Amino acid sequence: MTDCGCEKAKAELEEYLHRELSDADFEAVTEHLANCADCSQEHLVAVTLTEKVRKACQEQAPAELKLAIQLKIDALRA
Amino acid sequence: MTTLLAPPIGQRAPLDWPAMSEQRADQSELKRQFEEQALPFMDQLYAAAMRMTRNPADAADLVQETFVKAFQAFKSFEQGTNLKAWLYRIQTNTYINQYRKRQRDPYQASIDELEEWQLGDATSATATTSRSAEAEAIDHLPDSDVKDALAAMPEDFRMAVYLADVEGFAYQEIADIMKTPVGTVMSRLHRGRKLLREKLRDYAAERGIGVSPAEGVTR
Repeated sequence: MTDCGCEKAKAELEEYLHRELSDADFEAVTEHLANCADCSQEHLVAVTLTEKVRKACQEQAPAELKLAIQLKIDALRA
Repeated sequence: MTTLLAPPIGQRAPLDWPAMSEQRADQSELKRQFEEQALPFMDQLYAAAMRMTRNPADAADLVQETFVKAFQAFKSFEQGTNLKAWLYRIQTNTYINQYRKRQRDPYQASIDELEEWQLGDATSATATTSRSAEAEAIDHLPDSDVKDALAAMPEDFRMAVYLADVEGFAYQEIADIMKTPVGTVMSRLHRGRKLLREKLRDYAAERGIGVSPAEGVTR
């Protein structure tokens, strides 16, 4: 068992989510989440939040802007 | 014998011709590379610019300026390194130097001084049993609520969340883009996500989705 317990898991959930933990820590938190309903629910909210933000922030540059930039680059020398 | 002497300088084929056409070839190659590699990031940079400036006209100006600067500096871009992060650095610098000045919100000067208690504690605010309801509520909110919540946040928090969660940059890359230590990135990201979560919980309550307002407000 490498389960790290609630305290460490809660403290590291953000870094876990953002894949910023060492392999050993990542494994320990993964194992804890598998065994702890409380922490895994917390993780679920965090993952949902990330997904929601990611989807909500997709945008397309307006066609006029794309054209304006293309023209500008064409006229420039690097 | 005179015939063996090298011809006078003026009669030699002009040396600068091959060099110049080579330069021209470099130019068109550079342009081709830039168009192929950098221009595809335009939608992403525009989305980021919308979060930075919070209005389409400034966002368009910012992106255009970013690409012009990037193209002018493209010679010095080291192929094989992270082009997206490089473009984001240029855009962030441009934004800070030119746009932030005229949009400055007095509240933003002191964000790093906000204390934890002022930010609340989203984690302990919700009971275990209602967390799945909270996740569901977040999921059901309209995208416009998420954008509004981000727009209402202090800028440094907003950008840390954006760069990590929308763009998936590593903490070190965000630190390079925002020119701050990794520890500051972590703290902005944690606080930003906490604020965002609280804001979305409020919006969900207002819309009558999922979490009840009483639960959301309890600290």
